[in-house]
Amino acid sequence: MMDNPYIPFSSEILDIIRHTEKEYTFRMAFDGEVRPGQFFEVSIPKYGEAPISVSGIGPGYVDLTIRRVGRVTGEVFERREGAALLLRGPYGNGFELSQYAQGETVVVAGGTGVSPVRGVIEALSLMPNAKDKYVVAGFRSPDDMLFRDDLARWAERVNLTLTVDGAPEGYTGNVGLVTKYIEGLPIKDVKTAKAIVVGPPPMMKFTIIELQKKGFADENITVSHERKMCCGLGKCGHCRVNDKYICLDGPVFNYAEARDFVD
Amino acid sequence: MGNLDVNVGKLKKNAFRYSKVRGETASRIRIPGGVIDAGSMQKVVEIAEKYGEGVINITNRQGIEIPGIRLEDMEEVNAEVQAIIDALHINQTEPGKGYPSSGTRNVIACPGARLCPFGCYDTTAFAQKMEDAIFPNDRHVKIAFTGCSNDCAKVRLADFGVIGMTEPQYDKDRCVACEACINYCKRRSVGALSLVNGKVVRDKAKCIGCGVCVAYCPTRAWTRSENHYFRLVLLGRTGKKNPRLAEDFIKWADEESILKMVKNCYAYIEEYIDPNAVEHKEHIGYIVDRTGFEEFKKWIFKDVSLPPIAEVKERVYWGGNHYDRYDG
Amino acid sequence: MGYIVSREGFAEVIAALRDKYRIIAPIRKKGGGRFTDVDVILYGEVTDAAEIELDAKSDYAPKEFLTPLSETLFYFTEQEVKEADLEPKPVLLFGRSCDLHALERLDAIYLRNGKAKDIFYERRRKLVNFVLIGCDKSFKNCFCADMGTNRATEGYAFSVDRVGDEIHADVPDAEIAKIFAARGREEAVTPRYVTENEVHVTVPETIPAAVLKSPLWDEYDTRCINCGRCNFVCPTCSCYTMQDVFYTDNGKVGERRRVAASCMVDGYTNVAGGGQYRRKNGERMRFKVLHKIGDFKKRFGFQMCVGCGRCDDVCPEYISYTNIINKVSAAAQDAGKEAE
Repeated sequence: MMDNPYIPFSSEILDIIRHTEKEYTFRMAFDGEVRPGQFFEVSIPKYGEAPISVSGIGPGYVDLTIRRVGRVTGEVFERREGAALLLRGPYGNGFELSQYAQGETVVVAGGTGVSPVRGVIEALSLMPNAKDKYVVAGFRSPDDMLFRDDLARWAERVNLTLTVDGAPEGYTGNVGLVTKYIEGLPIKDVKTAKAIVVGPPPMMKFTIIELQKKGFADENITVSHERKMCCGLGKCGHCRVNDKYICLDGPVFNYAEARDFVD
Repeated sequence: MGNLDVNVGKLKKNAFRYSKVRGETASRIRIPGGVIDAGSMQKVVEIAEKYGEGVINITNRQGIEIPGIRLEDMEEVNAEVQAIIDALHINQTEPGKGYPSSGTRNVIACPGARLCPFGCYDTTAFAQKMEDAIFPNDRHVKIAFTGCSNDCAKVRLADFGVIGMTEPQYDKDRCVACEACINYCKRRSVGALSLVNGKVVRDKAKCIGCGVCVAYCPTRAWTRSENHYFRLVLLGRTGKKNPRLAEDFIKWADEESILKMVKNCYAYIEEYIDPNAVEHKEHIGYIVDRTGFEEFKKWIFKDVSLPPIAEVKERVYWGGNHYDRYDG
Repeated sequence: MGYIVSREGFAEVIAALRDKYRIIAPIRKKGGGRFTDVDVILYGEVTDAAEIELDAKSDYAPKEFLTPLSETLFYFTEQEVKEADLEPKPVLLFGRSCDLHALERLDAIYLRNGKAKDIFYERRRKLVNFVLIGCDKSFKNCFCADMGTNRATEGYAFSVDRVGDEIHADVPDAEIAKIFAARGREEAVTPRYVTENEVHVTVPETIPAAVLKSPLWDEYDTRCINCGRCNFVCPTCSCYTMQDVFYTDNGKVGERRRVAASCMVDGYTNVAGGGQYRRKNGERMRFKVLHKIGDFKKRFGFQMCVGCGRCDDVCPEYISYTNIINKVSAAAQDAGKEAE
């Protein structure tokens, strides 16, 4: 059968970065076109497929940050550098980075929601006006933090607020939900400022309310949605919301459109 | 009115009750399978109004008793009852003379597959077939049919309890692993199903053939077997000495074998019943207690060939309280 | 070209057609229903014309061939990934007008939603030649007339109407016409179709956002038991879930298959790590119904629902989907009035 979109290709694991016990980034060999915010269907035959968003892009590779939560990801974690995983993709629309070149940008990300915007933050941090870029990243606890090296690097260039929901005694960093830090962001022009929000559904909901309170227009807010996806091709139906397929039309949406989504 | 001179033994055998009210009796109507046509029911009403007190008793075994009938009217009542006997196809020895015996009790059945979603077979039809095979007979035998393992008919209080079963048939190509069968088997039945490799596996030893999986399967991956099967439970009883529940004897029995075994049982009773039993009446269970189960089995298995799927218990043990013993 | 053949003649036609085609048709499976001694009509391959259920509405839809309830896509060995074979023989797929219209809906999802075609669907679709079973009367719960799917004037190889002891067939397919011609007399035939059903629905032109939040869905939180029957019998429901397995007797080999999925059944939205959307059955009902009468149309320009009424036929809880459509319609009108 020719051109079967369901047939995955084999990709070598070039490197594994271990963030936490449950979260590793797999650097996978990949040469094609790909944007931050897109995703791959990662599979191990006989175990299954799982949609994983692109957390980093570089010459000859993509980074896939995977949380060990199920049968497929459990098996992926058994694989070492030099072994292969099967991939299909990239799927979805991804972020339009050029939108964020001018003016102020706020990225608010929670937990594994940091993965899909890691490439975006990386790009923002390399822009000449990086000082106009704000990142609010939240994790459950200090032990759950992803991309520590990146966070340290980004802190040098963009305005990074790092927070945790809760921490053991003696922790000196910020403690509290990301929503707590929106109001205080020193945005100069909220009329033109852009925002990207990615994370668990309740976090996204309340972050957007905070952004709206601060004066952000819905049109200037971008969100990325996570849904169950079996195909990535608009066939299996699991990711549909209203008349939109997250895998085809998203996962990245302008909030002026996404605000009408009712699950 | 002349002096009453009534043969009480004959009266009872003729399906009239010996009543505590002197001079009165009650006419007992057999309703095998618990289903009576409306016309016959109308006849019952007429008899109750004409000969009784306008009252009708529903009996514990799905029959009817019309109380308040004068002993003098028994013959007339027998003539009236004839229409009901005919409509319900009750075997008779002499038309117009009422029921020829009452020892073998009304054969009862839950509504079964005619109405109930869980019924695994037409309980009424089987009950009527059984009635036809064994009635009339003076021996005290209780037979009950229930459509599924819920045992709404409480067949475990009968000598022969027949519990409907279906052997679930699985078409893996129609299964989508929604797990409805697994969940409902766990919640409503015995938990005999599990998911292996995206398909359902049935623990045959555990499965009781209740058909819950079939009823809840949304895709017809589970269907009922063409053959109806039965769990036959034996020798339950109420009573003063040793009330006890019937115990499992055969799992996956067939209709024909059950009919034969019950008929064979009558020959066994004739052979071994205590000749001095009060009113010539003895629960089969007490006879079996005397002869041993092996002997009973030998008699009822005469000319019976069970289907290959059938599982027969080698030994059966009954429980219950023994009020006739100090250690009971 | 139209033909009239006797019942025996039709049996011969089917026998002759079997040289070239597999005949997939509604079959009455005795005692195959939920309950004892209740039949079910579902799809399967027939070898004899007498097996084809021409009189009653099928409980399950012809999609059973196009999107099997369970279909193996790949076999995995240690070395390779191999696509599952499919018998390449063309198929004559029997169904009614609603079913033929339903194929358009399946095509939209599997062939036109997104850039990639679903190869596994397409290879089956290419084999299909539709055989239209005429409807001389509306069945219980049908509402095809209101959905505009009551008539099919093209897209079938031949039609079949049982009229007394004869079969009336309209046969646009020239090759098949020859087979009919040899066994019957020629006469113009128009496949029968209904113009009126007992059940009526009013599908709103647009569905205001307020309808999504309407309390009308709440009663289904408890009335619906999320069994998914409505989806599995629906000729237009197309969702599936992937399953990977390794064989228990040899763990080195296995397969990837897909099984029909239902947006009513638990687990449909579960994401890794435990996240889940639409926990309430009323929300799932809303999601399903509004897809059928609104969301699909927004994307493809025509309604998804074809009005076959199988969902109403099968619901064990007596939930009427057509009644829900009419409730949605009323709620849409109310919302419209409020907006004014």
